[in-house]
Amino acid sequence: MNVPDDLRYTSDHEWAATEGGRVRVGITDFAQDALGDVVFVQLPDTGTTLEKGGPLGEVESTKSVSQIYAPVSGTVVEVNTGLADAPEQVNAEPYGSGWLVVIEPSDLSQLDGLLDAAGYRAATA
Amino acid sequence: MSPKHSPLADEHAALGAKLVDFGGFEMPLSYPEGTIAEHLACRRAVAAFDVSHLGTVRVTGVAAFDLLQESLSNDLRKVAPGRAQYTHLLDDEGGVLDDIIVWWVDEDRFDVMPNASNTDRVRAAVGGDDVTAERAVVAVQGPAARETLAKVALEAAGVRRFGVVGFDYEGARCVAAGTGYTGEDGVECAVPADAAPAFWRAVLAAGAQPAGLGARDTLRLEAGLPLHGHELGPGITPLEAGLGWVIGWDKPTFRGRAALERIRSSGGPARRLVGLLTHQRRPPREGDVILRAGSAIGRVTSGNYSPVLERGIALGFVPAATAEGDEVELDLRGNPAAALVVKPPFQRLDPDTGAPRT
Repeated sequence: MNVPDDLRYTSDHEWAATEGGRVRVGITDFAQDALGDVVFVQLPDTGTTLEKGGPLGEVESTKSVSQIYAPVSGTVVEVNTGLADAPEQVNAEPYGSGWLVVIEPSDLSQLDGLLDAAGYRAATA
Repeated sequence: MSPKHSPLADEHAALGAKLVDFGGFEMPLSYPEGTIAEHLACRRAVAAFDVSHLGTVRVTGVAAFDLLQESLSNDLRKVAPGRAQYTHLLDDEGGVLDDIIVWWVDEDRFDVMPNASNTDRVRAAVGGDDVTAERAVVAVQGPAARETLAKVALEAAGVRRFGVVGFDYEGARCVAAGTGYTGEDGVECAVPADAAPAFWRAVLAAGAQPAGLGARDTLRLEAGLPLHGHELGPGITPLEAGLGWVIGWDKPTFRGRAALERIRSSGGPARRLVGLLTHQRRPPREGDVILRAGSAIGRVTSGNYSPVLERGIALGFVPAATAEGDEVELDLRGNPAAALVVKPPFQRLDPDTGAPRT
């Protein structure tokens, strides 16, 4: 499984990338592989307030529905609208074109509480 | 209980399949290509499925015909040796204990093929020998199934739709039937366990995409074919499921007949199985409520995403008066979705109108 060194991870299989004070969020390679072919993604609207650990959206595959949780608290400032017609991007490039949302965090230090790549590798070994 | 394994288990591991427990068997869920690619390969060209988890109960001898006529719902007099027949094992209330394909292999030999988890139940009803562990069953399905299989076993490839023929593969005695569960033309081949891995490899080398139970389920749903435990089961009669043709009314007696006669003479079943076509991608799931004018009228029995239509589709029971073309609403876990009542197979419908594509 691909676990990039420069990202942070939750034990629920989301990844978080800092970009100039904002946080881009997606699901991990491990998660997309476990789900199988993704056929539908439900994401919040921009402007939605999220709580760390609270629901962010849903990713549905041919075999199951998976809840996605916010890795940090904050406001949704960008949504990957391309997933509406091409949810398979979550499988193809979970760390690239398959990203889900960008969050303006209310407290960027919450990222420090997430797993680093080594910690996530250990959690999914 | 440790899972049973198909004679092809090592082949699936070598192909990198994801495995899943199904009816006590550890079987491939999908291969690295993924369920949707496997599904589309079957619709557009050819896919090969290991369906060794299906049971084979062999009933032989001069009494076999009469025994099956009394035990199962359909009438074997509609067919003949060298033919296959879809039939049901019913309970006394007319509920479907299992749905079965019977391969009438020779005059006095019937290979009865139940669902994996129902093999013991069917054997108890019809007797015979459980020979499931002795063979693999490989389903070669899709518009290119026969030309692909012809490179491996010419006689098998030539079996007619719902026909049954014996054939030899590298010295092993096999049986082919022109049957399947995908809504496509195809052939199912029962191959002795020892010869099965070579047969499977030859079918893949001839061009078939290996496909797992994930694609098998999306294909059968898209084709509108019922799955036992969802659209069929105790408490569901073949009349409700729209499968009245599996009832051998001309037979003097078979289990469940009296109950079905009562339903028929009292104006037919109160509910019926229909297809539901939504206008968006979110997959309906089993248990989702079907509403009409705000009132619940039924529940989804199977739902998923249709790779051909790129829409959410479902099967479900609704009041018998519900007609094709009626508009209903599905409650997809709190998300309302408009749906059209349609007659499957879904893959042959226009996704916008729900009418058959011309």
